[in-house]
Amino acid sequence: MNAFQAIRLVASRELKERGRSRAYIISTILTVLLLGGAIALPTLIGGGPSTYTIGVVGEGADIVATADAIARQEADDDEESNRYEAMVFEDTESAEAALDEGEIEAVIVDGEELVAGSAGAFGGSTAERSLQEAAGTHRVQELVTGSEEAAEVVQILASEPLEFRRLGGTDEEEDNLRGMVAFAGLILMYIAILSYGSWMLSGVTEEKTNRVVEVLMSTLRPWHILGGKLIGIGILGLGQMLVLIIAGLLGIILSGAFEIPALPFDSVAALIGWFILGFLLYAILYGAAGSLVSRMEDAQNAAAPLTIVALVGYLFSFAALNDPEGAVAVIGTYIPFSAPYVAPIRLAIGDISAWEMAVAVAITVATIVVLVRLAGRVYAGGLLRYGGRIKWGEAFRSAE
Amino acid sequence: MLEITDLHKRYDDVVALDGCTFEVQPGRMLGFLGPNGAGKTTAMRSIFGLVQPDRGEIRWKGEPVTHEMRMRFGYIPEQRGLYPKMKAHDQLTYMGRLHGMEKKAAAAAADTWLELLGLADRRDTPTEALSHGNQQRVQLAAALVHDPDLMVLDEPLSGLDPLGVDTMAEVLQAQADAGKAVMFSSHQLDLVEDLCDDVAIINRGRIVAAGNVNQLKNAASIRHLELEIEGPVESVLASLEGVRSADVVDGRHVLIVEAATDVRKLLAEAERGGIVHHFVYTTPSLTDLFREAVA
Repeated sequence: MNAFQAIRLVASRELKERGRSRAYIISTILTVLLLGGAIALPTLIGGGPSTYTIGVVGEGADIVATADAIARQEADDDEESNRYEAMVFEDTESAEAALDEGEIEAVIVDGEELVAGSAGAFGGSTAERSLQEAAGTHRVQELVTGSEEAAEVVQILASEPLEFRRLGGTDEEEDNLRGMVAFAGLILMYIAILSYGSWMLSGVTEEKTNRVVEVLMSTLRPWHILGGKLIGIGILGLGQMLVLIIAGLLGIILSGAFEIPALPFDSVAALIGWFILGFLLYAILYGAAGSLVSRMEDAQNAAAPLTIVALVGYLFSFAALNDPEGAVAVIGTYIPFSAPYVAPIRLAIGDISAWEMAVAVAITVATIVVLVRLAGRVYAGGLLRYGGRIKWGEAFRSAE
Repeated sequence: MLEITDLHKRYDDVVALDGCTFEVQPGRMLGFLGPNGAGKTTAMRSIFGLVQPDRGEIRWKGEPVTHEMRMRFGYIPEQRGLYPKMKAHDQLTYMGRLHGMEKKAAAAAADTWLELLGLADRRDTPTEALSHGNQQRVQLAAALVHDPDLMVLDEPLSGLDPLGVDTMAEVLQAQADAGKAVMFSSHQLDLVEDLCDDVAIINRGRIVAAGNVNQLKNAASIRHLELEIEGPVESVLASLEGVRSADVVDGRHVLIVEAATDVRKLLAEAERGGIVHHFVYTTPSLTDLFREAVA
């Protein structure tokens, strides 16, 4: 059996066993549901059009009718708009009683006063603004009624807002989208490093606890086992991430929460590339940490320093998100443990030159290559020593 | 033949192996005995390269053991050695493939072994859901699935019920009969005495007795004597010569005496003391040999 066959054998076991495990399937479905829910929920709860019933005492029915007309006019052809209906009351008392009962949203008294209920979200809402706007429009319409300019005034009042443009030619929608990709990517990267790192950690410790590793090590080299595990878990992790991304996009499209213009391809591609580098960098170390302990209960402790490094890298990158050109972002690009977070952010929302990106990739890849050797040796040394928690250096020295 | 010669291994200030030397012959079964911490597991692990000895040599068929040779060895580590969540058949197939078998051949061999050990209906059961005895059967199959030339089993009998022991014994005997070299460690000395052709007893990292069980018994410097007398036993015992140790088991006196002692003289002494109901003089049991060797 050559190295390629050996690594493939370990990787395919990892893929098959972990891929069909209940834990993997459930965690995938759960995260998809959570993500889909987070995207779709705001639209489902608050997004739909409503009908507002407005009480009117004396004059004011015209204002409500105007608000309704404006709302319908502003809505696109295929969209339903908010509706405003008037309900006439004899006196203020009966109208306010209805308001207290919640039968109506607000009361217009004599076309002069707008009364909202003591509780409720009417004040400051879109509906309030629409009614206030309609009141103004209605007054202007009354003023010009009968004059020659009447039709023109009405048209001006209903005209479109100014078109907005930013200097430099970048499209604001794409800017927003890039920001979103960077932010979502950052969170996904952090989740991926922690959760797939912990798969490595527990997978390695499990084999040691069950002594399966003795059978493995009697036929395979340590780096075959470590490499096969990395590839198997890496593929499963990448697969889960892709499912998540696709689910997220579908959620956005189906719920119509916001529109997706052409995705900025370069930042998505870079995110996937950096996902792989970030995963490898951390997962190798998590694997080595797993070899240091004999019991599952101790595994998280052994990995605690790594988890802290991952967290610090993650926090680093929020500074980069706020200021992609700042010193923290630039330095973070060249530190291998923060580069997988920071570099894709700078690509998505900042200005990172091709050579900066190349240097960042080179530093991270070089670190991975060195780590494969160092961590591989710790792994080989740690696996066959039992007892409490073995120190990194001790494991490193005991490997031969 | 597996030859282990002068193995030394030291962990910091603990000496695990201190010149360990013994052989495992093809077609024979060797029981590897020793008190806890004597170096059994370390010695077995060094056969598989899991421990690098500081000094010494391990040869298979006259050549230093290589990675390729190890693919033709079978190993059961101390405790389990299986993936708890993996189905029995998948597990065995994987073990076969680890030892270089093709996928199809490994799957077929896995089925054969499950059938042979009466686990055909447990084919797709995760190991953790099997009874303890069945887990050990799967473990045995895992070490055999690639039809190894040498089998090394670390405490394969611990925790097995008598039926499980029978199965294990049958399978191992069949392997030895087929010309394979088999060695296993155990603390169940009476079982080892029944099963094994050879033993090697290790104490503090050194082999203190090794060879054919019967020859060892005959060559031993001690004999086993059981005695039941009606009369003043204590004075009889005090008058016997060459007694190394004395014990009472179920009302019967069990003595370890010098092999050089004349048995007729012993019997005469006993008869002078009272009516002899029971007098058995034999070569020592393996337990006697073990106690003597590690004392």
